[in-house]
Amino acid sequence: MKFLRVKHLNIWSVFSFLFVLGIILSNLLVFTSLLQPPSENWQHIKDYLLADYISNTLLLITFTGLFTFLIGTSLAWLISFYDFPLRNFYKWAFILPLAIPAYIGAYTYTGLLNYTGIIQSFLRNSFNFHVNPKLFDIMNIWGAVFIFTLFLLPYVYTIVSSFFQNQSASLFESARILGRKPLNILFTVLLPLARPAIIAGVSLVVLEVLNDYGLVQYFGIPTFSTAIFKSWFGMGDIDSAIRLAASLLIIVFFILALEKLLRGKRRVESSTAKIRSIPLHKLSGYKSMLAFTYSFFIFSLSFLIPLLQLFYWSLITYSNVLSNKFWQLLWNSIFVALVATCIIVFASVIIANFQRISGTKLSKTYSKITTFGYSIPGAVIAIGVMVLFINLDQKLFWFYKIVNPESAKLVLSMSIAMLIFAYVIRFLAIGFNSVQTGFEKVGKKFFEASRTLGMTTTKTFLRIDLPMLKPALVGGFVLVFVDVLKELPLTLILRPFNFDTLATKVYQYANDEMIPEAAVPSLIIIAVSLISIYFLNKITMKEER
Amino acid sequence: MYVQIRNLTFNYKNSEEAILKDFNLSITKGEIISILGQSGSGKSTLLRLIAGLEKPNKGSIIIDKKIMADQNTFLFPEERGVGMVFQDYALFPHFNVEKNIKYGLHAFSNKEQSKRLKEVLELVNLTEFAKRYPHELSGGQQQRVALARALAPKPSVLLLDEPFSNLDAGLKTKIRGELGKIIRQSGITSIFVTHDLEDSETIADKVVSLDISSSISMKTGTR
Ligand SMILES: Nc1ncnc2c1ncn2[C@@H]1O[C@H](COP(=O)(O)OP(=O)(O)O)[C@@H](O)[C@H]1O
Ligand SMILES: [Mg+2]
Repeated sequence: MKFLRVKHLNIWSVFSFLFVLGIILSNLLVFTSLLQPPSENWQHIKDYLLADYISNTLLLITFTGLFTFLIGTSLAWLISFYDFPLRNFYKWAFILPLAIPAYIGAYTYTGLLNYTGIIQSFLRNSFNFHVNPKLFDIMNIWGAVFIFTLFLLPYVYTIVSSFFQNQSASLFESARILGRKPLNILFTVLLPLARPAIIAGVSLVVLEVLNDYGLVQYFGIPTFSTAIFKSWFGMGDIDSAIRLAASLLIIVFFILALEKLLRGKRRVESSTAKIRSIPLHKLSGYKSMLAFTYSFFIFSLSFLIPLLQLFYWSLITYSNVLSNKFWQLLWNSIFVALVATCIIVFASVIIANFQRISGTKLSKTYSKITTFGYSIPGAVIAIGVMVLFINLDQKLFWFYKIVNPESAKLVLSMSIAMLIFAYVIRFLAIGFNSVQTGFEKVGKKFFEASRTLGMTTTKTFLRIDLPMLKPALVGGFVLVFVDVLKELPLTLILRPFNFDTLATKVYQYANDEMIPEAAVPSLIIIAVSLISIYFLNKITMKEER
Repeated sequence: MYVQIRNLTFNYKNSEEAILKDFNLSITKGEIISILGQSGSGKSTLLRLIAGLEKPNKGSIIIDKKIMADQNTFLFPEERGVGMVFQDYALFPHFNVEKNIKYGLHAFSNKEQSKRLKEVLELVNLTEFAKRYPHELSGGQQQRVALARALAPKPSVLLLDEPFSNLDAGLKTKIRGELGKIIRQSGITSIFVTHDLEDSETIADKVVSLDISSSISMKTGTR
């Protein structure tokens, strides 16, 4: 094997290799299947439907990207440069919508706005006012853009505001001394400087939109992810599902390339160390009111209103929902999330440590591939993993027969192992990033000191690195756990028969026209996410101090 | 008097302690003044007050007969027409040298901008570096760009905040000499602050000490 130079052949490199191999295989398989002749159905899809999928997908990502950019950046700017009523509250409140997955947002707003929803019934009962239902119909592509924007906003907001807050005040001040007004400085200095941060945030948003299934499915918008599901489950046409997955993957590649291009080759690193952080300018009069109102408006739409609505529904429905079955499903969610998260953190530590110690090109490639998994939409990973496991089952059938002569043909691909494997591939990047940042902070000097004191790599790792890495590990663990908990498309495709999680249950209730019943599991997902956001903030604040 | 500061009093909002109390200073046109003080004595604060980055509690600042600040007036930094070289230089990292310098020249016509750019680049001896980005320059070169950028709009006064604190000790003497020459050559009225008596004595016409708070000791330069 050329991949493995004997020099680095130790437990670290072997494990790293295996994990990376898993990622590559499950994605490559999506492409190799393209070599086989297409099914008839594919011809139909290509001729009549594909153009629709592409244009819907492009519309969704373009406008969601645009609006999250406009709103997220403006919020970041307000928070980083100005003081106005409740600014300190909004500063972290704008992160909170992150806890609400877009599909839950979509169900909530649909329930809120539809004929029996609180707004229309209120108008009807109190004022006998019958609105044009079209006005309140958000189940279309613009409604989808609205929902995506509200709940993906925090990606842009957090990245851009932390960028602004890391800038030295002197940049802004020298621009003023050179005769520019604040608004002019925003456009000539601050925004161009923040470009890489903005692009990073918007790319995350776009990848999340591509990953979504729950929202577009519910709103009935034909996109790649809905098409993949339809081919696979609706028509049993695996071949077309694979081809659609491959097409979607190509779009993802395109977006990643575009991101790189837009960020620019030039490293825009500040030429100066930060001496003074930017002082807040106190707004007064109508400006202060305006900033406050705008912030309140966004916060209400993206967090307060949906949360209140969910609480209200929970109060009505909890007695029906909280049955024995519900506890089973809660346990299922926690169990798969825990197992997947443990594997991910374990793998992240191994790959990051391998990279740090060996520092070779190969190990850097590994870390790139690891990060890549997060860019791939859940539906694509699901297809790749499914194909991989079915292949494995075929290869291993002789072995199953030795163990159990009555064995079914498909064993692995019917088991929960497949789902967990897919989670690992999709979310490895998140754990890995946390761990790698942790390693970077700790540096190499303790490792080297320990080696000179006669400890082996592994012993050093256990006695020195691991304890020092603890905050990073906890951070990574929490992030991954939450992401697995709210994951929908992968879970829907790959879960074993009759295996439900909180997320799939929410999906099911919503699609059975039982939106209020979906509130309890939704709130649990949101609560767990909120707790983790709180923990993460605490950890990062501790580190900053 | 070209620059007149009278009874300047200031404290930061979050602290009671007055950083400056009834501070007075007069400067004639073309003079190079050095303000000497230990770290934390309020040197940067004084410059920030002159530049309009902070608002005084009391007192007045008049430059070239124009009131910058008194109890009724407060001009914003962009309205004052002063130049400042920051301690960390504050070069815009996403602009090259040329764009950094032209940033302050927005009131000039295109032709004048190019002319002025050429002049100040020649003055600081960086003509070949116009297209470089800040991170592609040495510390001393960055400082000269910052100086050129501050001088380009022809400010009434040039403010320099610890211009030598970021430089290697070995280079310091040489750069100090060069910088002094450039400033003198441009003939601009300058105020620079430092904690190093040697800096003060080599460059300035007059040294003002901040430590013996506000009671000013002056040393008339020999030049
Ligand atoms: N933004 C600020 N808020 C409150 N206090 C400040 C601020 N900036 C400086 N100070 C305080 O004012 C005093 C003078 O600071 P400064 O003018 O920076 O001194 P110098 O430049 O002479 O070292 C110091 O005690 C410092 O702690
Ligand atoms: Mg200072």
